[in-house]
Amino acid sequence: MGSPTPPPRILQVDADAFYVQVARLVDPQGAGQAELLLVGGSPEGRGVVTSAAYAARKFGVRSGMPTARALRLCPQATVVGVSRRACSEKSRAIVGVLEQFTPVVEPASIDEMYLDLSGTEGLYGHEALETTARRIRRTVLAETEIQVSIGAGTNRLVAKLAAGRAKPHRTPEADGVVAVPPGQEAAFLATFDLGDIPGVGPRFQERLERYGLKTVRDTLPHERPELEEWFGWRAGSWLYHRIRGMDSTPILPRSQAKSLSRDETFAEDLDDDDALRRELLRLSDRAAHDLRRHGYVARTITVRIRDRDFRDRRASRTLPRGVSTERVIFDEAARLMARLRSARPIPARLLSVSLSQITGADTEEQLGLFDEASDALETERDRRLAEAVDAVRRKFGSNAVERGG
Amino acid sequence: MKFTITRERLHEALVAVAASVPTKTTLPVLANILIEAKADGVRISGTDLDIAVSTVVPAEVDGEGAVTVPAKKLLEIVRELPSAAIRLAASGEQRVDLECGRSRFRLLGIPREEFPNFPPVSFKESWSVSSGDLQKLIKHVSFASSTEESRPILNGVLWELRKDVMRMVATNGHRLARMDVPVAGSAQAADLIVPPKALDQVGRLFGPADEVEIAKSDNHLGFRTGSTVVFTRLIEGPYPNYDQVIPKENDRACTVEKDALASALRRVGVVASDQTHRVRLQFSGGTLKLSVSTPDLGEAQDEIAVTFDGDPLEIGFNANYLLEVLKYMPTGEVRLTFKAPERAATVEPVGWDDPAAYLCLVMPLRLVD
Repeated sequence: MGSPTPPPRILQVDADAFYVQVARLVDPQGAGQAELLLVGGSPEGRGVVTSAAYAARKFGVRSGMPTARALRLCPQATVVGVSRRACSEKSRAIVGVLEQFTPVVEPASIDEMYLDLSGTEGLYGHEALETTARRIRRTVLAETEIQVSIGAGTNRLVAKLAAGRAKPHRTPEADGVVAVPPGQEAAFLATFDLGDIPGVGPRFQERLERYGLKTVRDTLPHERPELEEWFGWRAGSWLYHRIRGMDSTPILPRSQAKSLSRDETFAEDLDDDDALRRELLRLSDRAAHDLRRHGYVARTITVRIRDRDFRDRRASRTLPRGVSTERVIFDEAARLMARLRSARPIPARLLSVSLSQITGADTEEQLGLFDEASDALETERDRRLAEAVDAVRRKFGSNAVERGG
Repeated sequence: MKFTITRERLHEALVAVAASVPTKTTLPVLANILIEAKADGVRISGTDLDIAVSTVVPAEVDGEGAVTVPAKKLLEIVRELPSAAIRLAASGEQRVDLECGRSRFRLLGIPREEFPNFPPVSFKESWSVSSGDLQKLIKHVSFASSTEESRPILNGVLWELRKDVMRMVATNGHRLARMDVPVAGSAQAADLIVPPKALDQVGRLFGPADEVEIAKSDNHLGFRTGSTVVFTRLIEGPYPNYDQVIPKENDRACTVEKDALASALRRVGVVASDQTHRVRLQFSGGTLKLSVSTPDLGEAQDEIAVTFDGDPLEIGFNANYLLEVLKYMPTGEVRLTFKAPERAATVEPVGWDDPAAYLCLVMPLRLVD
């Protein structure tokens, strides 16, 4: 064989304050002029900040914070909304530009994409990955008017952390691209706190701190068996690899969606079960419709409620086979919501329905031993109805037909 | 309550009971174990409300009484103690003092009144089975039960007791395991649907030479040997008619080395879809061709020698289901039978030197191309 396989070339592209940038492009005279711009929620209402301009972040404003509170921290800020559609269009435009560089582009969220450039060394004249990253950054800006930061490395984890470091507002000397050369992953990771590692949430941090572990450096001296004993086999081994900069999660192109969710933050907390049920119906309908539009079916249905006190609770159920029609998805979601509501019946701020374990509707089907006997989840009637609804929406728009609550 | 016990005995009892203590619970007392000291020894019990395990250990009891203490903490402490006598004493309802050599601990408990009562299962009308037979059934069948909540009845293992045979059946609706063990004239006839978690405890706690006493109440079952008892809730409802789905007309049969088939499945399975684990099997003459093709990932082919009787056949399976079934096959050679690409396949041991009869079913994946 020839020379050894070259190391993987992974990039993470992260749009800087994405919603703020889109809001400014949509409304150059209004939002475009406001330096202290907050996107999301309203001063009177009780939504949350989706994104804050870097200038406003200096006042302590963060995304996810209730807008009213953000305005107490930064009273001069201008609050605007931005349409979901404008953001999705911009996001798709960025993915389109990125796909000119490699077919393997995974949109991780609306403003974060992973690229796998492995095997493209020859295509780019064996230039350094950092040079390619800079060219991608310039091209995205030129073609979409969106400023992005790019992290480069040999895997997802390193690329993501590098992209964070590349953001100009975080590190004064940063210029939008940080590349971690192969072999330097562990040294790079050693400069982070454990809480910076994606997947280490507040609860896990608490457990880590009980063992005196706060930074990656604190944790490195502990061998794998020790970490596995403390945190369990899965989490211990996971942590052992992450703090050494190891991550073998592949970059999946966008055709392989993992989950699809629809949520709603209410203008006012909802405590009425019927009102929540109507919201759930709307969300289930939208999720089911989007699922079918992509030709998918989903096996797992999850309902999440954010209570008045910001506590998130979720319940989910995995069905024996994939489904895609409103009736089945709503019926399941309603049962899950009822369970959550009876466990803690306090007013809700947010409701979400998400569908996961997604596969193509036409993929191979596992046959069941008791298929005839079991109550089929979706009837032929459900499917025909869904097709008819889809046809009406294609012709007259997505609001043309809705179910009554 | 006051008693002295050896570190080894206490540790053994705690390990036996700890598996029934839930790791997460909304009822705090369930994270505790109940310790009851009586003149004849100390009884230690734990429960997650679905199953309960209780065991009696010899100890020198100076004062009778009962208290509950955090199971995990007590087990961790005892694990770290040297091999010596442990003295345990309750001071009041809520505190337990433990001493061993120069180590001293005080644990905060919860009054025993809060600990749930055990299910009312009376062993007065019990019957007994050989633990060896029971373990054989559990080991070969329990794995096939469902872990999904979509059909709760399939989360259990069906245990059929008849005059001269005990049978267990488990299925998740996609694959099924069934085993019969002949027994000498049992008086009891019953159909019980038992959670596999309880069977795991039975398999773990009882030695193969024991006779296990079994007793049943309306919706609970108890298993008992000399000092240890396991209670479990029974799953209610009719178990699906499994007999109806066991194929009787499969006319194509393949005999193959179990390990050769399993390694080939694992090899090509590497590039199978993470969701369906689909492999395609093509039987023809003396050859089995295995192939996998996963969009966006890649392809694999392999070939092994088999003995195959019948018309050539192409059939798809979830590789994991086949591998799981093969793992529990007790012989080096196995026999697979088929009828058609969308009908159930059977897997059986070949030349098993055992009075038991074992059969597994696997439903195929429908191939779309």
